[in-house]
Amino acid sequence: MSFILENHTISYDDISILTNINLHIKKGEKVALLGGSGSGKSTLLKNLFKMQKENTSYIPQELGLVQNLNVFHNVYISLLDEKSTFYNIRNFVKPVKNEITKINDILEKLYLDEKIFSKVSSLSGGQKQRTAIARSLHANKQILLADEPISALDEHLSQIVIDSIKEKYETIVCSLHNVQSALNNFDRIIGLNHGKIVLDKCSSEITLSDTTMLYDVCK
Amino acid sequence: MMSANKTLNISLIFLLVGIVSSFFADFSISTLEPFLETKKFFVAIFDINFNNTDFILEAILNTISIAVIAIFVSSILGFVFAIFFHNFLLRITLAFTRSIHEIFWALIFLQIFGLNTMSALLAIVIPYSAILGKVYAEILEENDSFPDELRGADKVSYFLFTLVPDAFPHLVAYTLYRFECALRSTAILGFVGITTLGYYLSSYFMQGYYGDVWLILILFYIVIGTIRYWFNKYTAIPILIASILYHETWGEFSLSNLVRFVTSDIVPAPFKYDYSYDKTITWFSNLFSNEIVPGVFNTIIVTQASLLFTAFFALIFFPIVSKKFTKVPFIGHIFLVILRSTPEYILAYMFLQLFGPSMLPAVLALMLHNGAIISFLIGKQADEIEFELGTTKKKMERYFYFILPQLYSQMLAFLFYRWEIIMRESAILGILGVATLGFFIDSAIADFRLDKMFLLLLVTAFLNIVIDIISKKSRDYLKVDKPTSSCGCSLK
Repeated sequence: MSFILENHTISYDDISILTNINLHIKKGEKVALLGGSGSGKSTLLKNLFKMQKENTSYIPQELGLVQNLNVFHNVYISLLDEKSTFYNIRNFVKPVKNEITKINDILEKLYLDEKIFSKVSSLSGGQKQRTAIARSLHANKQILLADEPISALDEHLSQIVIDSIKEKYETIVCSLHNVQSALNNFDRIIGLNHGKIVLDKCSSEITLSDTTMLYDVCK
Repeated sequence: MMSANKTLNISLIFLLVGIVSSFFADFSISTLEPFLETKKFFVAIFDINFNNTDFILEAILNTISIAVIAIFVSSILGFVFAIFFHNFLLRITLAFTRSIHEIFWALIFLQIFGLNTMSALLAIVIPYSAILGKVYAEILEENDSFPDELRGADKVSYFLFTLVPDAFPHLVAYTLYRFECALRSTAILGFVGITTLGYYLSSYFMQGYYGDVWLILILFYIVIGTIRYWFNKYTAIPILIASILYHETWGEFSLSNLVRFVTSDIVPAPFKYDYSYDKTITWFSNLFSNEIVPGVFNTIIVTQASLLFTAFFALIFFPIVSKKFTKVPFIGHIFLVILRSTPEYILAYMFLQLFGPSMLPAVLALMLHNGAIISFLIGKQADEIEFELGTTKKKMERYFYFILPQLYSQMLAFLFYRWEIIMRESAILGILGVATLGFFIDSAIADFRLDKMFLLLLVTAFLNIVIDIISKKSRDYLKVDKPTSSCGCSLK
């Protein structure tokens, strides 16, 4: 079992954001979180991350990139805790060839290899998003939590990203607002509305009325 | 937006304190023919003397090399301090060391190590590393946008990868500004005997060789104005190496002198000589009523009067650099850059020679230097204000109805930032003869009463820290606290 939430409530400044959440996510599940803005998706993902920090890679909505650092170094950040401080400093000053090759392979898949030594601040919104995804693809973790990781990407790139995270990660919880892409690519769909779970089903069991309801809450 | 009432309250308090201070201040002119002397000084600009260039070139190289070494050491120490700035004891220590002016530090080290390069370096490095430590810490905090939850266990690596890159350009910009300050500070160390520019400036001025004075001033402006052309990422290290090689002797580090200074020289006489109870009380009460009270009083008077005049200067002169008011802002720009580049100490020294000793030279100098910095910053901000179509073309109306209401709170914030600096300078200008704290400190050193000097320095530092706290509280009250990286380096 990867995550267990029972009757979980989260509130900030006395306003509850998530109320009575019951959620079991098993190892190997690929879950799509659907819901409109303010439905509590980000809060839920952040909380799941705090529960399993050690073996989880997390892509927050604001991406967590360092603007003045190039793409290579931003991706390399995923390994900081695994490598020695000395090796990290060395890579900071002058990237090691072996690391460049590894990161370049990942960037190539995302059509971002040309930008490997460009500063993140000079990238477009979609390129920044792919940099954050590359960081997660480079991390050595078992679980991926991603908060709207493809919101700025076109259909073709979105599919490439979804395929590559599915190939790399056994367990995924990913928030989206594209209902069709969620149904096509994920085994389980969770719908959130106003901090409550309004739907939790296998994507194969989703009915037409469920879909209508999801479109409705994702508006 | 801040509330208009609060702004009015604070402004009225400052106006009142400023007016009362000006009332107590001694603004008399005691030289027989101040205007003749002033005229002679300004006419001498057409009669620049190029005969003593050997001395002056050496003084320039000496000034630059000391400033370069000092800023390198200070920035490294400052960076280390910034990393540990959360430590309370460190913060208190740094607040103390930076509240004492570099000239006071120089006077202390002259007592311990003598008149040499090492004393000059220590005098700059000690307050500068403390200032850099504080501002670096602020810059690092302001530019910390990496989400906390993503930060891992390897603190050093995460610091390097996630904090340094975004803060770096701001750290460099601030360090370059401080380098400019270090050049000014090193130059004025000449006034206490180190052979930098100030040494020759004061001796030529005293002898009335105004032609030489102008040469020194103009060369100094050129050095300061061209920093960005000769001091950059390619030249910094070669210049540092050249600066280190330039000095053949540094002076000797005498541990025994240092120990004597700390364990004997600065120990108050009553404890050192085991005075009786009555005599001890008399010693302290004399010091208190004859030196501390008048020193503190005069320092506050000079500070508050200068602050008020600085505000007036800034309000009157910012239009000369703003495109909203003039078609030739660069002329105003040159005028303000010259004022800004001249250290307050040199301005005060020159006014003192022209007008004789009173508070007038100090207040004028502080007004011109700080007023120039603030006018320049507000002038730039005025340029960013967009007028709507149909806004009046009349400059007076523009000034009072459109520009001033929008920039007034900014100006107050800028003044608050300069407050602590004006206080530091007011104290030091006492060395030139105004009876602020510096006057008593200087006299104590002249009489070799280092115990007195030390107590007076403690009072000076304490006064500065109090002003720093009041300034912070006022900024919080008005909600005008500005991040360092957004409001121009020259404020802090």
